Amino acid sequence: MAKVMVSLPDDLLAEVDAEARRGGTTRSAVMRDFADAALRRRRESRAAAMRSLLSDASPHGGRAAEQVKATRPGP
Amino acid sequence: MLLDASVLLAAFDPEDDHHKPARGLLEDEATTLATLDLARYEVANVVVRAWRAPESVAPLLTAIERLADDGGVLAPTDTLLARAAELAELHTISVYDAAYAAAASDVGHRLVSCDERDLVSKGLAILPADIRSA
Repeated sequence: MAKVMVSLPDDLLAEVDAEARRGGTTRSAVMRDFADAALRRRRESRAAAMRSLLSDASPHGGRAAEQVKATRPGP
Repeated sequence: MLLDASVLLAAFDPEDDHHKPARGLLEDEATTLATLDLARYEVANVVVRAWRAPESVAPLLTAIERLADDGGVLAPTDTLLARAAELAELHTISVYDAAYAAAASDVGHRLVSCDERDLVSKGLAILPADIRSA
C-alpha cells in the first residue's frame, strides 16, 4: 500500500479524527474508507444511469469502429 | 478504463459484434470509466450520418455526461495532441485514434476500443470482451 501526504483544512481533519475515534480505527483507515465509498457511489450512479439509457437501445447495423472512421472529416 | 467512441456506439447497437461486452462495461459498477471530449463529436457524427437516427444523439450524449460524473471526459491539450501526433506517426494511425491512446496513457488508464485494425492489433487498446482477462 502506498503512503501519501494529504493536505486538509484543520476543521476537516478534526472531523476525520473524531470519526476515527468513534469507529476505533485510524485516520488513514477513515480517509481510505471515505474515498472508496465516494468512488463506489460515483460508479454505481453511472452504472444505474447507463442501464436506464441502454434499455431503449435499437439495432443500427453494427460495425461501430468502421462507422466512426467512415464519418470522420476527410483530409 | 478510457473508452473510445466505438465502445459507446456498440453498447447502444444490439447488432454490433461487441454489443454485449460494451454494454456490460457501461453497466459495470466495479470499474471507473472515462472518455475523451472527441467522443461527443464522433458518436453524434455516426448517429446522424450513418445510423440516420438523430433521436439517438441525446441518449448517447447523456451517456457521455454520466462518464463525466465518473472518471471524466478529458479535454484535448497541446501536450496531449503532440503526443497523439507522435503515436499517429509511429503506428500509422489517425490522430483521432491516437488521441484516445495518448489520453489513456496520460491518465494511467487502459484504452478500450472495438477498433481491432488500428488500435487493438497494435497493442494500443483492448476489446471490451477482453477486459476481465487484461
